[in-house]
Amino acid sequence: MTAERLRVGFLGGVRHALPYARILTRDPRVEVVGVADEPSSTQWIQKAGRALAGELGVEWTTEVDRFARSDTVDLVVVCSEPTRHADLACTAIEAGLHVCVDKPVATSLADANRVLDAATRSSRACAVVNRTFSPALRRLRSWVDDGHLGLPRHVDVEFLTSSATFALDVEDPRLVLDVALSGGGELRNFLGYAVDAIRFLTGLEVEEVYAESDSLFGGSHAEYSVEDAAIVSILLRNGVTATATIGRVPAVPTVGSTHSMIRVIGSHGHAAVSDEQPRVLRFGTGVVSAAPVDGGGGRIAVEAFFGDLVDRLLSGRSPEYTLADSLAGVAVTDAAYRSCRSGANVVVSTTA
Amino acid sequence: MTTPPNEIGVAVVGTGAIAREHVRSLAGTAGFHVVAVAGADVARAQAVAALAPGAVGSGDIAAVIADPAVAAVDVCGHTAAHARWTIAAGAAGKHVMVEKPVALSLGELDQMIAATRSSSLLAGQTVRFQPAVAELKAQLAAGVIGRPRLIHIQWYVGHVWPNGWRAWQLDPQISGGHPVHNGTHAFDLLAWLTGRRGVRVFTRSFPGAAAQMPVPDSFQVTIRMDDGTLALLELSYALRRPADVLRRVIVVGGTGTLTHSTEDDFGLSSDMARAVPASVDGAFGRQTAHWLDVVRGRTQPTTTATEMRTALALGLAAQRSLACRDVVALDPTSVEDGR
Repeated sequence: MTAERLRVGFLGGVRHALPYARILTRDPRVEVVGVADEPSSTQWIQKAGRALAGELGVEWTTEVDRFARSDTVDLVVVCSEPTRHADLACTAIEAGLHVCVDKPVATSLADANRVLDAATRSSRACAVVNRTFSPALRRLRSWVDDGHLGLPRHVDVEFLTSSATFALDVEDPRLVLDVALSGGGELRNFLGYAVDAIRFLTGLEVEEVYAESDSLFGGSHAEYSVEDAAIVSILLRNGVTATATIGRVPAVPTVGSTHSMIRVIGSHGHAAVSDEQPRVLRFGTGVVSAAPVDGGGGRIAVEAFFGDLVDRLLSGRSPEYTLADSLAGVAVTDAAYRSCRSGANVVVSTTA
Repeated sequence: MTTPPNEIGVAVVGTGAIAREHVRSLAGTAGFHVVAVAGADVARAQAVAALAPGAVGSGDIAAVIADPAVAAVDVCGHTAAHARWTIAAGAAGKHVMVEKPVALSLGELDQMIAATRSSSLLAGQTVRFQPAVAELKAQLAAGVIGRPRLIHIQWYVGHVWPNGWRAWQLDPQISGGHPVHNGTHAFDLLAWLTGRRGVRVFTRSFPGAAAQMPVPDSFQVTIRMDDGTLALLELSYALRRPADVLRRVIVVGGTGTLTHSTEDDFGLSSDMARAVPASVDGAFGRQTAHWLDVVRGRTQPTTTATEMRTALALGLAAQRSLACRDVVALDPTSVEDGR
């Protein structure tokens, strides 16, 4: 496809739908045309979708079949609760549309493979939102590519976000806490970021996973019996190792609501980056705030992802981050949950 | 041999690099008088003794320990000999500081603890006396973040340092393996900061700088403590540049988080020399001063029997996990050490 404008519709209007929509509406090549959801979806989720449509000043509908047609929409952004990602993605793929699925692409290996199978049969693109466009991660990758670190031997990822801002970061905490909607706790929510970074930096597949998780801080995660934190030990091909420390914690070790750090130990050097740095600190009376340059990597990463996706779709090219990449993340997350249940080091499999 | 009045006569067992550091520190601490340095090689013992005015070198360790002029024994040397000389010193009524790791098994450690019950036993966990670590502990003790729940420790060191990879250190039968030998720093730190015991350990390693070594220079350990606290300890003695040090600790508690990284230290940048980070510097002297207070009965050893057992049990379990490539469960109440 070679076109000048991309008509975008949202299928599901919760979680990150509003920030994604704002990014897309700022792109002059994009026209957001509507928001839809299945009539069978939960009332409060429909209400959120309707509110999104109102915010954007576009059509709201529950007639998904009428909405998801190539004569009105070019790209469908699936932004529902995670447990419906796969179903909605398959619906849009089978309607012959480009699809972009919010992360995680699915909450089970079976569902992830179903999306992959559907996309394989389609001539259209299927992308998954990811943070591999983070400037910090790309800077670290460039050092690896330039040989400054020698052979990467170990990658250490920290991703901690503040539970104090939970209600602000996620419009409804049930989207993370209620397994029927989220498919899991913070392992499901965050481990994919770490896996993406580790694979992006090393180019290696994960073979084994050992994980420990718990609801360490009580509160809503304990009420819903889902983990708020986890530590993960990862073995990649060629004996390369990695770790991930993830969680939603009472206070993050930085100024701001999210802390991320990625460190590579190489045979000839080591390096670390953070999405929150470089930054400018502002000291007020009893208050410290941080201004990450260019607005912070998390936001920049998503903006860059959508910018690149629009570029590629308008010029007929495939997404850089593939469904196979997202399947790898689902597989490692699945292995982490199996490890937590069994208390064993487990082998990663991409099949259910 | 005699000790000046009002000074504590101390004997140092061992003649290696750490023994030299101990002798220097003891000789520089008013209140201690190094009576003798003892080791199997008399010439080496004499060379190390020469670092302390008035000290003699001896090849008869048992005789030095029994010397009435010796009130305290600093047991260095390789780990396999720690139990023998600690028990001998304890049986002779002497106070003991034993270099880390304290022993090769929990059974040995329990005998060492029993033998020194009427005197005292301090483990040489120098890290506790590093300024930033001591401040972390003080903050935790003050309750500023509630109970520790999630801990991430990064412990990265240059691969090349004096006496870093001696043959005995590479032999797990003598050193306990790398998780016991050097991992003990981080395991003791975890035990001290949390006050909890480990119940489940998993270790993975990578050959950072020298793949052919019989012990890995780098490894990561996941630990579940008996109250559910999770800890991830990452150790690499494989940084490229000599004398590189990167110590980073994050402790997430129920109401707040504490963190420190040597990356945040201001310091020296020079072609002429490398300086120890300010947050790490001076620990040896503080440890020696603490031992003097212990020997004089002014305070209890910072390393309790429970903490020494916890740190050693974690090291042994981590080494076993490496060997069997599997998860190791710990019964904190058992003397079983997983060997």
